[in-house]
Amino acid sequence: MLTVALAAAAFLAGVTGTWSPCGFSMIETIGAPRRFVLRSCATFALGAVLGGVATFAGIAAVGLAVRGVGRTAVVAAAGLALAAALGELRAARIAPQVRRQVPEHWRRTLPLPLAALLYGVLLGLGFTTFVLTFAVWALAGVVLALGRPELGVVAGVAFGVGRALPVVTIAPLLDRRVGVRLLALIGERPRILRAMRVADGAALLVAVGALLVSPASAATNLGEGFDPSAAGGTVVWTTVAGGVELHEGQVGTASVPAHAVLGGALIAWRDGDTVHVAQAAGLAPVLDMTVPGVDALAVSDTWLVTRSGDMLSAVPLATPDQLHVIASGKPPAQIGRPSLDGDVVVYHVASRSGSRIVADDLAASTRRTLRQTASALLTNPALVGGQLLYVRQTNLAQLLELGPATRRGHDRVLYRLAAPSVHDSGHEPRYTHRTRTPHPKTSPFTLWTTALSATRAYVTLLPRKPSAPARIVSVAR
Amino acid sequence: MPVPDLTGIADGLATSTSRRGFLARVSRLLTLAAGAGAVRALVSPGEADAFHFCGHIYTTDSCPHPTGLPRIDAQGYPLRAVDGAPVDDLGRPIDAAGNPIDASRRRLLDPDGRPLPPAPRSRLCQEAVAERFDLHTRIDGAWYRCCGGHVRKLVDCCARTRKRINGDGALTGYCYSGRRVFCVMYYDTKIPC
Repeated sequence: MLTVALAAAAFLAGVTGTWSPCGFSMIETIGAPRRFVLRSCATFALGAVLGGVATFAGIAAVGLAVRGVGRTAVVAAAGLALAAALGELRAARIAPQVRRQVPEHWRRTLPLPLAALLYGVLLGLGFTTFVLTFAVWALAGVVLALGRPELGVVAGVAFGVGRALPVVTIAPLLDRRVGVRLLALIGERPRILRAMRVADGAALLVAVGALLVSPASAATNLGEGFDPSAAGGTVVWTTVAGGVELHEGQVGTASVPAHAVLGGALIAWRDGDTVHVAQAAGLAPVLDMTVPGVDALAVSDTWLVTRSGDMLSAVPLATPDQLHVIASGKPPAQIGRPSLDGDVVVYHVASRSGSRIVADDLAASTRRTLRQTASALLTNPALVGGQLLYVRQTNLAQLLELGPATRRGHDRVLYRLAAPSVHDSGHEPRYTHRTRTPHPKTSPFTLWTTALSATRAYVTLLPRKPSAPARIVSVAR
Repeated sequence: MPVPDLTGIADGLATSTSRRGFLARVSRLLTLAAGAGAVRALVSPGEADAFHFCGHIYTTDSCPHPTGLPRIDAQGYPLRAVDGAPVDDLGRPIDAAGNPIDASRRRLLDPDGRPLPPAPRSRLCQEAVAERFDLHTRIDGAWYRCCGGHVRKLVDCCARTRKRINGDGALTGYCYSGRRVFCVMYYDTKIPC
């Protein structure tokens, strides 16, 4: 929803950019010499998209780098976008207005397709020339606050396409009557610009709604899969077709073995009762061992932790014959999936009397309970650099929380889903509705296994419908 | 018949009297003010039909329940109101061992086929309300009414507090020894009426 709304707003902002000295100049520059018009259109469009991506992906990368992501930043960006939308709807004068134009002499000194490419880049950059809409500023604020480069790319491509589309549509027709009429229409009918700005405003309002109403929309859907594991900037997870590896900030995925986990420079996976440990880069074997009934793993540069049923065991990679039992549970109590960071392993213990998240220092043989509750369900922790990510479920909401791996950490909610179960109305039929009993929505998903990288948090969404596939989403930390 | 809004009078009375005495006085007032029909709408001797669930005859709100309506079992653990299914503190239906189950009573599983973990199941008044509101709560007494063809037990969650869950003055209700009603629950028997 948020991605679509941002793309629509960026596209419309780009189209509105046609109503500018540079926009008109581009149509006349590219359309006049008939020999190069198609090539020039193509290079102009390419340049506009490149420029748009450079601007918005760059701004998003800055947002990511300064960790501007957070509810406060998002609300501030929504406020800016709302102000911009109102300005568009009221046709307010653009301020601040960039009053520069593209260098005119390029059309004389450079081959026209090359000049068109460079003109496209400058127009696509957005902040280098006149743009008669507030939407560019608003979009910049939004992608900065979200700090998600992939959203920046989407906004940049949409903006570039929007800037190029009117130019490459009208320029080839400029020697025909219809082309001249179209150009005259744009130049002589302010109502069209007015309508475009109203559309800009409406698109920004939709984007504001998507930003504020649906916190879940801040997440990136990585597709089907479950049980993510991350190390550095790499994340792996399992699908029905096998394992998937993704390098953050890069496009595309690679295949890895199913049921794989990452830790330090290593990757480990299970295949039946056999556990394989290898170098993450190149899969050079480090250790193969048999663990009967193994159903979950965690690995670091020094330890391998396995879960078989409800028993957690640790093995030093240097001396794999020394097996240490860390914890065990008696059904229906459950020991959760382990996560390792160096010598420290974290896992959940859930029972009918309460749930807790436990940290064991394998080197020091010490144990700490990091979080516990008798009324909620705390599950699936992940630990990186002293930061603890975990799932908290109550009858009203499901929260993905991040905080320090200490006993009294202050946690922040990175991602939120509605209630894990169905609620009634809080009153009986035909009786008064006057009750303060909350009536939350029910989520179609249950938050499940997690992973934490330096910049993002990952979580599995288990569908409530058994036939539907699990999926993975990521959110900025 | 519409009932006149006498909330202000009722609240004033409510803070300085027992529930039964209070209701009697309100009944007399309403008899004068709005006639016998309105009284029947508030305090009916048989099939009680006032306020937000059957049998409840005052404005004290429900105890926070995992699925909404404050239905409990004989021990005070939460049940889903619509069908009496036991639920955990997350509102998920559970089996006898406390494991979450689906509508077909099959255990909920993760993608590897491993059962999802159990969540706590707390007694509504004695544990959940006590922890959430930091009160020493207990169930003192109860009253029974006929609801939906079965006898229903109306249960007050009592505590030494002057405020009820609504945020205003608490009543004595079915509570003893200076305790007052913090919130209300109900237990449906299988006895027809």
